[in-house]
Amino acid sequence: MIKADNITKVFGKNEVLKGISTTVGKGEVVTIIGPSGSGKSTFLRCLNLLEEPTSGQIYINDEEITSPRVNKMEIRKNIGMVFQHFHLFPHMTALENVMYAPQKVKGLSKKEAEQIGKNLLARVGMTDKEKAYPNRLSGGQKQRVAIARALAMEPEIMLFDEPTSALDPEMVKEVLDVMKGLTETGMTMVIVTHEMNFAKEVADKVLFLDDGVLLEETEPNTFFTNPSTERAQNFLEKVL
Amino acid sequence: MNLDFSQIVPYIPFILEGIGATLKFVIVSILAGFILGTILAIFKITSFWPLKAIADVYTSIFRGTPLILQLMIIYLAIPQLTGYDISAFLSAVLAFGLNSAAYVSEIIRAGIMAVDKGQTEAAKALGVPYRSMMLNIILPQAFKNILPALMNEFITLTKESALVSTIGYLDLMRRAQIAGADLYRNFEPLFFAGVIYWVMVTILTLAGRYVERRMRQSD
Repeated sequence: MIKADNITKVFGKNEVLKGISTTVGKGEVVTIIGPSGSGKSTFLRCLNLLEEPTSGQIYINDEEITSPRVNKMEIRKNIGMVFQHFHLFPHMTALENVMYAPQKVKGLSKKEAEQIGKNLLARVGMTDKEKAYPNRLSGGQKQRVAIARALAMEPEIMLFDEPTSALDPEMVKEVLDVMKGLTETGMTMVIVTHEMNFAKEVADKVLFLDDGVLLEETEPNTFFTNPSTERAQNFLEKVL
Repeated sequence: MNLDFSQIVPYIPFILEGIGATLKFVIVSILAGFILGTILAIFKITSFWPLKAIADVYTSIFRGTPLILQLMIIYLAIPQLTGYDISAFLSAVLAFGLNSAAYVSEIIRAGIMAVDKGQTEAAKALGVPYRSMMLNIILPQAFKNILPALMNEFITLTKESALVSTIGYLDLMRRAQIAGADLYRNFEPLFFAGVIYWVMVTILTLAGRYVERRMRQSD
């Protein structure tokens, strides 16, 4: 479903990604972990072209999205993204946030979009807040609305960029629960996270990045109990 | 003290008609300046440099020369150059609209820059086209932030509109001057016109506050 081939990304003189290759199968849940500044988020953001790789190719469903001829907007319709800082539209209510893209991008009627919006807000447990503006919501609530907003486009792939890192500790669980529910629907998911227990529990595969290099790519049990590189061992000792 | 307001009574209808004349071109100028300013602001934030250059040069010229000079060039020099006998009204709208656009574009540009970059990313990630993103996501947030600055610009324009009296346009100011010349007394008509300007600006200020309150609903 997703294939990344030797992706590099250079910001000025700083080589953030140094040739990352991996694949994500349909319905697979992949978590990316690694120390700060390792390039996890940058790699994730390359997958929906919020960052353009300096070199290398990314294929989604066998279509090369890094080709200059490709229409980025078309690609992004099929890939939902959830951000660390939510980025809800502050001048729209929770429901309007979710309804916006189906109406503007897919051209659905207001009624159809509202139906989708209400269903999704119910799914993330936010029905009672559908008329609330984002600034009246807690971090966890915002993130659940943000997940609903991304799902409203019915994407095949969902990207999560540290979705719980900006949350107060007591709100992490509600967001992880929603994400866990999503893994059970067979959604293809790529998740950058610092929640090791969550990664262990839901991931089909763990990618460990350090300094722009993909050091490990294994199933979670092996990674968390018996990582093959010393760098990963050190990292796990610190965070577990 | 030589003061007699009763003398201007016959001139009151004549002066009051100036309110309509002033408002007519002020409103058209504000709208023109606002629309053109928005377009220029979008030019300024694109990565396509020729558009950026056009907008920057434009702003530099219209902010870098006196408004009264721009007005004179349009009213007096256009007929000389093109033979087209431009009306005072059209000259006024052009000068004020074009001039205001330069200031408005800077205000809006700053407003757009102040919107969190995450908003653009969220819209992009949803596949929202650039136009919709600007119109529905970025500009509403930008306008909310810049409303006070924008109101300030509109108020300035309303007051500066008195400059058109110099090209013979029969606005509030010009009418007060004519009444003053007829009566050989200037204080009363000028004072009267001053009160009217003050009332107009106050109404504008209150309207601005009202809009601001409406827009702050989501806070």
